[in-house]
Amino acid sequence: MPLDIPLKNFHEANGAKLVPFAGFNMPINYKSGIINEHKNVRNHSGIFDVSHMGQVLIETNNLHINNLEKYIPLKLNNLRKNKSNYTFLLNENGGVIDDLIVSLIDIKSKSFLYIVYNASRKNEDEKIFFKCAPNAEILHIKNCLFAIQGPESVEVLKNIIELPSDMNFLDISILEYKKNDIIVSRSGYTGEDGFEISISAEQAEVFVKDLLENKNTMLCGLGSRDSLRLEAGLSLYGHELNENITPIEAGLSWALDKDRLNDTVLNGNKILSDQLHNKPSNKKIGLISVSRSMLRDGMILFDSNKNNIGKITSGCFSPNLNKSIAIGYVNLHFDEEKEIFCEIRNKMELVKKTSLPFVKKNYKKNGSNNE
Amino acid sequence: MGVTMSEKKYTKDHEWVSIDNGIATVGISNHAQESLGDIVFIELPSVGKSVNAKEEICVVESVKAASDIYAPIDGEIMEVNNSLEGDAAIINQDAENTGWIFKMKVSNPSQYDELMTEDDYKKFLEQ
Repeated sequence: MPLDIPLKNFHEANGAKLVPFAGFNMPINYKSGIINEHKNVRNHSGIFDVSHMGQVLIETNNLHINNLEKYIPLKLNNLRKNKSNYTFLLNENGGVIDDLIVSLIDIKSKSFLYIVYNASRKNEDEKIFFKCAPNAEILHIKNCLFAIQGPESVEVLKNIIELPSDMNFLDISILEYKKNDIIVSRSGYTGEDGFEISISAEQAEVFVKDLLENKNTMLCGLGSRDSLRLEAGLSLYGHELNENITPIEAGLSWALDKDRLNDTVLNGNKILSDQLHNKPSNKKIGLISVSRSMLRDGMILFDSNKNNIGKITSGCFSPNLNKSIAIGYVNLHFDEEKEIFCEIRNKMELVKKTSLPFVKKNYKKNGSNNE
Repeated sequence: MGVTMSEKKYTKDHEWVSIDNGIATVGISNHAQESLGDIVFIELPSVGKSVNAKEEICVVESVKAASDIYAPIDGEIMEVNNSLEGDAAIINQDAENTGWIFKMKVSNPSQYDELMTEDDYKKFLEQ
């Protein structure tokens, strides 16, 4: 039986359609539908309840850091305070156990790694966290997690909490909401400016109602979160990422600390280092449908001679492009100039290859609103 | 000879059918469009095609998934709703009226009689 998130009743009362996802009954969309929610985030803002996701606090001592550096390809001692980092847990072959956001924050003058991870990978991740740090504190038992995303998310949030004016993309802070500490990071997974907020389950409903006082924002479900992240070309665990794909094969080598690839402590360091120098056998590409047919996860890609050249890992309807878009892997030796076909219901349909992202990211960096 | 539109009937696959002068108009039920969510594309059946009841004859794609549309009864496809090609969302707005999908010549009217009435369908949905 899927579990309920703390605000389940609130979401239902607000018209959410709940579906089981990664062990939880989650809002997939509300009354106005996925496309409207998607557009509202691109044009204004939207509020996502992502309380299904994992959140853990790990005290930063040498033992914990040495243990975690076996799995995480960053120099954890060099992390900057109040900064978030996109990274991974890696298995012995350099494959991705999970993708994570790791942040260094102080709570009551004690230093912690605050890690947010995928709901679908809680079992695997928490085994590692507890092995590395037996006193790791699972935060999602008592805290909800919300994402406010979109160009107007600053306005939505600054109405109810005092926001530091110099907060940029991937900055994180402990801020105050109604006399309680909340964790606020400038991040998200939609390609838009936005924030993720970890707040106690007791305060969660009042907090969301406060956010909804802004009449241009709305509750959004996981359906639009998926189409937004796909337009932004962002990878999703279980689709672009799994234990048999390395971050380099997934086109995410930018997220690796290259020095760590020479460190034998790091899982799969030799494989990753080889891939970085010799290129992996697959590459990630963007695809746009030419017909109106939808591109979906698992569809097979062919060249004009009907050779299987790869497959789609995520596909959806793009409200911004008004066409179906997809992310997939093709083998590296595929001729860039050749046409690509996708098998859709036993028909070969021409698709157009494109670079990622489909929609330009709009993160807040150094005062500018562009990347 | 009275030309009357028949009572609307429903299939277990959440399609509606109404018959007028031996021609059945078919679409998906309002319940079906609600559960599919935003519909973005429809692959219409070919006009002139002979089909059997329960045969998959076309596909609607919502943002979430592709769903097959079945022939509710035996017959021949006479006409398709071409306005859906440009704007499949008409089905979301008006599934049981202007969102009709195709019309077919009925070869076996007794199959229509066996379909669920609106009341039966409501009960079916509550199960």
